[in-house]
Amino acid sequence: MEPALQPVSLSFSPWDPGFASLVIFALIVVGLMAVIMILTAWIGEKRENPEKARAYESGIIPTGHARFSYPVPFYLVATFFLLFDVEAAFIFSWAVAYEPLGVKGWLQISFFIIVLMISLFYLWKKGGLEWGPTTGPNL
Amino acid sequence: MGTHHRPEPVNRLTDAGLRLGDIVINWAHKNSLWPMFFGLSCCFIEQSTAFTSRYDISRFGSEVFRGSPRQADLLIISGTVFKKIAPAILRLYEQMAEPRWVISMGSCSNSGGMYDVYSVVQGVNQILPVDVYVPGCPPRPEALLQGLMMLQEKIANEEKPARSVFHLPGGSQGTTTPILREGKTKSRDPRGPGYEGITIRGTSVTPPLFEGSRSDLMWTPPAAKIELRASEKTLAHEMSLRFGTDVQMESPTSDMPVFTVLPHRIKSVLKYLKTEASPKYLRLNDLTAVDESARRNRKNLPDYTLVYQLLSFESAGRIRLKVPLERIEEKPPVDSITDIWPSANWYEREVYDMFGIRFEGHPDLRRILMPQNWQGHPLRKSYPGRATEMAPYTLTDARRNQPYDAAEFLEQRSTHKDAFVLNYGPHHFGTHGLIRFMLALSGEQILDMETEIGYHHRAAEKVGERQSWHQFIPYTDRVDYLAGVANNLSYLTAVETLTGIKVPDRAAYIRVMLSEFFRLSNHLLWVGTFVHDIGMMSATFYTFREREMVMDIVETITGGRIHPSWFRIGGVAMDLPDGWKAMVDEFVKIFPKRLAEYDRLITRNPIIKARTKGVGIISLKDAMEWGISGPMLRACGLEWDLRKKGPYSAYPAFDFEIPTENGCDCYARYLVRMEEMRQSLKIIQQAADNMPPGRYVSEDYRYCIPQKADTLEDIESMVHHFINATRGPKIPAGEAYGATEVSRGEQGYYVVSDGINAAYRMRIRGPDFAHLQALPLMAVGGNIPDFAAILGSMDYIMPDTDR
Repeated sequence: MEPALQPVSLSFSPWDPGFASLVIFALIVVGLMAVIMILTAWIGEKRENPEKARAYESGIIPTGHARFSYPVPFYLVATFFLLFDVEAAFIFSWAVAYEPLGVKGWLQISFFIIVLMISLFYLWKKGGLEWGPTTGPNL
Repeated sequence: MGTHHRPEPVNRLTDAGLRLGDIVINWAHKNSLWPMFFGLSCCFIEQSTAFTSRYDISRFGSEVFRGSPRQADLLIISGTVFKKIAPAILRLYEQMAEPRWVISMGSCSNSGGMYDVYSVVQGVNQILPVDVYVPGCPPRPEALLQGLMMLQEKIANEEKPARSVFHLPGGSQGTTTPILREGKTKSRDPRGPGYEGITIRGTSVTPPLFEGSRSDLMWTPPAAKIELRASEKTLAHEMSLRFGTDVQMESPTSDMPVFTVLPHRIKSVLKYLKTEASPKYLRLNDLTAVDESARRNRKNLPDYTLVYQLLSFESAGRIRLKVPLERIEEKPPVDSITDIWPSANWYEREVYDMFGIRFEGHPDLRRILMPQNWQGHPLRKSYPGRATEMAPYTLTDARRNQPYDAAEFLEQRSTHKDAFVLNYGPHHFGTHGLIRFMLALSGEQILDMETEIGYHHRAAEKVGERQSWHQFIPYTDRVDYLAGVANNLSYLTAVETLTGIKVPDRAAYIRVMLSEFFRLSNHLLWVGTFVHDIGMMSATFYTFREREMVMDIVETITGGRIHPSWFRIGGVAMDLPDGWKAMVDEFVKIFPKRLAEYDRLITRNPIIKARTKGVGIISLKDAMEWGISGPMLRACGLEWDLRKKGPYSAYPAFDFEIPTENGCDCYARYLVRMEEMRQSLKIIQQAADNMPPGRYVSEDYRYCIPQKADTLEDIESMVHHFINATRGPKIPAGEAYGATEVSRGEQGYYVVSDGINAAYRMRIRGPDFAHLQALPLMAVGGNIPDFAAILGSMDYIMPDTDR
């Protein structure tokens, strides 16, 4: 059964996706950010000072290469995080539409989760999750 | 007012609006001051007590002590402002958010306090503007809270932030007081301004010569003598057979066998003592020097004497080797012994830094305590000891004298050319004081590191050469600022060994009881901060609850909290007050339950175990050779505790055990200290139950400050009280080393007397100097998070490292 005419309030329901509510939400977000940033920029006390502009490193002037070779594990962890984060996004959107998608949807998402779980075990086995010293306590 | 034109209605409205704005903004400012987490020295202990449960600084909206200057707007300068740290203080201040305020906490920060010494800035107001001064040494936590309230009043009553906020001229927020300038807006003269033409002190109290000192006219018996043990006599005989006249035994001696060794033989003698002699002397306990140029009688004395002290674990014996040095400027007068003991590295650097004596073959002979561009060698007798004898430290100095570049340093030494360089400290949550670690990292792994100490160099040894033997006692409290009167005991053990004073039983029991209370206080603080370092935030709030009970007992007995300065030569300052027993008994009853609570909270916690087990391992052999002592050594499985092995004071009369563990890791150190708390409690209980009656200070009034009652009875005691409290007692010429087991390990004083009312040389052997030197053995190869756990588990403290 479909109602011929929707009350206006319903079109802004968070449970009922709609273009109008998204636009208004986006406007509120941008507006709030603008107010906060403009206020801080205007109200905040600003005294320029080379020390203040310098990076903080325990009270010492930071030195060393800016372009040192970046260790691979950081990159790996970042990539894995991205992958499994996307997984979460798919699972959430499936969970929201759980009822209309039915058993078929459940089977599809299960397949998706299992594939990703296998890949998780694979990279665990390959040592992708290893962190820290790899060569014993004293190198 | 008649000539003044009436303000326009619009202006009046604006003014009212701005006044309202001021009130609102000031209200917000004063109730959300965010202090920066930055401790310089002792005062910070009271500052950190202020945010634990009893004092609860969060009532003022200031509970969040921020780790980064970016998030803080209140800088509390809590402690001594060292010349070496001043550039970092200035930088941190300038990196703070605005508007910002400064509270100067404690005498050192206010004016230099009792540290009128070459390494200390005489008041932080010479480099930073200060809003509120909190007096005290250290101020109690309540005093800091009072300071905070005064700052709030100042903000509410004096600041007009609305104009600055709305970009109108006028108005003020944050600190507006100017930086003070010596001779213009402040005076470092202890008598106040206007006395510049007159010398401050007479020659009889001016080091190094103390000309015309009336102590010269006093008589004392000669220094105490000891009878050598049979094994020591055999060793002396062996040495004379092997090295002939190059090694000569000194006799008599007050504390241990002493040999004079010619410079070219010292290395072979040390090698012999470490590897072949019986018993073997495995630990290089201390290495220092004495400048002989200001002796009262210079006959037969060299320019400098190097002093090596070794310790044998087999025989629990010590030995001192003295090396006479002449003409040290021409070439390095003696060989480095870093190839026999790697731990000699820092000691030789310190001798170089303080005396200018160089060592042939030392791998890295540069300054260790003073900044690299420092002029002169402070422990030379010709070097002025007081900051007020030097030019004032100014803002320009604080901008110019930057700590050296970590990347440059690590690059020239290390093979890891493209490592990431990180400065860990001197301002850091995890460093527990002013120390800087320069780390070369690959990811989170530490490839190489260098420790820079000296940020907390308070020149205690130089001060010891000018304060009288009694006046120096308050300085000892501040050497290990968490050990309180236990520091007094180390110093007095040395002085009493030299003079042969017999301490009455009651005084000895009181000393033991209070020293154990300070061990508890230290360990309680340590447990809280250690687990805090590895992520357990709540423990501090429990442990400080018990620590405050300890502080209450200490305060009832001594009148002070962390620096009571309450022991005296030959005894203690007063008898125990009424009601002490009930307080101690109550504590003894409650504390075991609280310990059980910590056990449940921490000991079997799987996260704590994962973070500490197998982390920071140092082998027993390394620990023995690198001079590690205290709980760190006992966590490697060696039952070594001076309270048993070199018994001093009343400890032989007590029944207690020495806990050991075999893990050699952070967890083992934790377990050892937890068990030590139980044993300390046992000692306290015995001391309270069996407290002997009698005198609280020795009858030897030649050296001691007499009991007050006696001074009211007879003129002799009265005169001794007067002389010993003012000029100070004359201590017979000689030397002695006295050491005690403070909460961190062996703390020793090597006192050299030239027979007047002040020491000729005051050497302090702090346990943590040795511990920190051995840190790379534990940390290199590990991860950054492990590094935090290791630092926490070491329980080091900067003032006894840098002294």
